[in-house]
Amino acid sequence: MKQLAEIMKDIAAQSLSRGEVDLVIGWQKGPLWWQSYPAFIEGNEGNGETGSLTWDSFCVPNLSRYLLEELPERKKVALFVKGCDALGFNQILQDKRAEREKVVLYGIPCTGLVDPDKVESAGLGRGLLEVKRDGDELVFVYDSGEQKAQARDFLYDKCLTCRYPNPVVYDQMLGEAAPVQPEERFESVQELEKMDADERFAYWARQFSRCIRCFACRNACPACSCRECIFDIPEPRWLGKANELSETQFYQIIRAYHVAGRCVDCGECTRVCPVNIPLQELNRKFIKDINELYGEYDAGVDPEQEAPLVTYKTDDPAAFTES
Amino acid sequence: MKKIVKDKLPSLWEQLSSQATLFLPVEQDGVVNFAPWEEGDSVNLEALNTVVPPKNVVFPQTETYMRFKVENDKLHIEPFEQNGPYVLFGARPCDVAGITLLDKVFLQEPEDGLYSRRRREGTVISVACNEPDAACFCTSFELEPGMAPGADIMVWDMGDYLLWKAQSEKGEKLTGSVENLLQEAAEEEQKAAMELKERVTAKEAAAAQEMGWDPSGVKETLKDMFDSDIWEQFFRRCLGCGICTYICPTCHCFDIQDYSKDQEGGRFRCWDSCMFADFTLMGSGENPRPTRKERVRQRFMHKLCYYPSNFGLYACVGCGRCVRKCPVNLDIAQVIKEVGGVKSGSE
Repeated sequence: MKQLAEIMKDIAAQSLSRGEVDLVIGWQKGPLWWQSYPAFIEGNEGNGETGSLTWDSFCVPNLSRYLLEELPERKKVALFVKGCDALGFNQILQDKRAEREKVVLYGIPCTGLVDPDKVESAGLGRGLLEVKRDGDELVFVYDSGEQKAQARDFLYDKCLTCRYPNPVVYDQMLGEAAPVQPEERFESVQELEKMDADERFAYWARQFSRCIRCFACRNACPACSCRECIFDIPEPRWLGKANELSETQFYQIIRAYHVAGRCVDCGECTRVCPVNIPLQELNRKFIKDINELYGEYDAGVDPEQEAPLVTYKTDDPAAFTES
Repeated sequence: MKKIVKDKLPSLWEQLSSQATLFLPVEQDGVVNFAPWEEGDSVNLEALNTVVPPKNVVFPQTETYMRFKVENDKLHIEPFEQNGPYVLFGARPCDVAGITLLDKVFLQEPEDGLYSRRRREGTVISVACNEPDAACFCTSFELEPGMAPGADIMVWDMGDYLLWKAQSEKGEKLTGSVENLLQEAAEEEQKAAMELKERVTAKEAAAAQEMGWDPSGVKETLKDMFDSDIWEQFFRRCLGCGICTYICPTCHCFDIQDYSKDQEGGRFRCWDSCMFADFTLMGSGENPRPTRKERVRQRFMHKLCYYPSNFGLYACVGCGRCVRKCPVNLDIAQVIKEVGGVKSGSE
C-alpha cells in the first residue's frame, strides 16, 4: 500500500501543478493509528502538501460526498475513490448534484479497511503505534515489536460483504484490481425477516432508542444530497427536537425511505453511528425488496441505468396494493 | 476509607435503587451508556467512557418542564417536574470534572432552576480509571484519572473489591445507608490504591505529553486567531453532524421548543448543537455562522478561548470521546496541537 500512497502523492502534485484541477481530495494520516481523514489540497503544486497524502487501512471516509460542498466553488476537482466511494459518486451524478466533466477520478482498488473497534475488542489496541497491511495480513506495530494477524478478522463488516472493491468509474486506475470475494450481504436481513411484525418493531425500537439524533448517518451518506434537508427546516418543524422514540422513528424511517433505490450500500451510516445502530441492515432490507420486486438493481453502478423506484412500467408489480 | 467486595455489587445496586433512581453504565448491543438500572441489566464498570457522558443525568437531552392545556376556552399552564433523588454510580473523573464545568454555567446567577434541582437531588459516585485509553488526556487539564474532587464518593477498582471514600456530606450520608455492605479498608489497601492513582496519572501525562496535547497558552494564542487560516484546514472535512457536541461532557447549548396536540402540549428544553446549520439561524433568515467554517471555529473557540476567558478553566476535560468518535477525526486534541504550534500574533 505504501507504493500506492507514493503514486497518489505524485499524481496529486502533477495535476495541481499542471493546473488540471484546483483541488485534490485525498486522505491524510492523523496522530493516532486509526486516524486517516479527508484531506483537501489546493493551489499550485498543492503548496507542498501533496506529500502528506496517504493510503492505508483506515482511509474509510467517503470522499465523494464532499463534492456537494466543494464542486460549486471549483473549476475542477480531483478525487481518490475506493469502490464504495465510486458508487457514491455515480449516485451523486445520477441525482444531478455533480458534473462528471468537473471531476477527475483516481480509482483505488480496495482490499478492505480495518475497523478500529475490532482491533480494540481483540485487545490489540494498547500501545499500538501503527497498523500496516501486508497482503492478506495485518502487521500491528508496537514499541516492543510487531504482531501479525489475518486482515479479514479485522475488516469492517461492510468490507467483508463488499461486491465492488474496484471502482466502477474512474479516469485513471491506480494499482492492480483487488479480488472480489464478498460474503452474503443479506444474511442479517433474512434474520430480520424471520421475525414477526411485533418482534421486528421491538428490535428497531430498541436500536432507535439509543439514537442521539446527531444526524451523522445523514451527513455521511452520499445519497443524502438534498440542498436543504426536511429535518433541518425550522418552520414548519417536521421533526421535533425532543429526543423521543417516536420522533427518532419518524426520522430514521423517512431517511431510509428517502434513500431507498439510491442507497449504494457503502455502509457509511453504520460506520459513523456512535451508538451502533445497524442502519445498513435497514437499507439492505429495501435493496433486497427492490431486487425481488423489480429485478436486480445496484444503485451507483451505472448512472445511465433506469432506477426502478423512479421509473414506471405498466407491468410493474403492485406490491403495496396486492396481497 | 471503606471497601466493598465485588460479589456484593448486585446487592448494592438493589439497595441503592430502592432509595433513589440509580444510574449505572449499562451495556446494550455493545454500547455502554448510563441508564436507570433495572434488574437484569448488564452493568459494565470496566468500560472507560460511556458513549454519551453522564451529563445527560444532570442535563437531560430532552426535559419537559411545563405543560399547557386549553379547557373551556381557557389556557391552563402548569410547571412539570419529573425529578427525584438519584445516584449516579460509575462516572469517570473526567466526566465529574465535566459536570463541575456545567455547574459554572448553570449555577451562576441567575441560577438555572432545572439544573440546580437535579444537582441537589443527586449523589455522584466516581470510579477511578486504572488504565487510560490512547485517546485520554485529562492530565493535560490538570485532572487526575484516579481522582475526582467533585464527586461525593470516590471509588477505586482494586480487583476483587472497590475501595470507597466519601468526599462530601451527601457522600457520607449515602455511605451510611449502605454500611451493611461495606467493610473497613486496611491501611495497606488504601496505600495500594493511592500508589495506583499516582502511577496511572504519570503514565497518562507522559503519553499526552508525547502526543503534544498541551493546552497551556492555547487560550491566549486563540484570542488573535479568529480570522486565522487555520480554520480552513479544519472545517472542510467536518461533516456537520452533532456527534462531537452530543458526546462532549462540557457542551451545554440547548434549545427551548414546544410540542402540542389538539388542545394540549408542553414545553421542553433539549440539547442543541453549534454544528447544526439552523443553530444560529435568525427569524429574519440571516445566519451569522453560515458555513461549517464559522461553526467549527465556534466550537473550538468556545472550548479553548471563550469559556476559559469567562470561567478561568478550559471547557475540555480530555475524555477523548471526540478523538474516538468523530467520523473524520476532527478532534480537539488535534486542534490543541495545531494551535499550540502557532506563535501568538504570527498571523
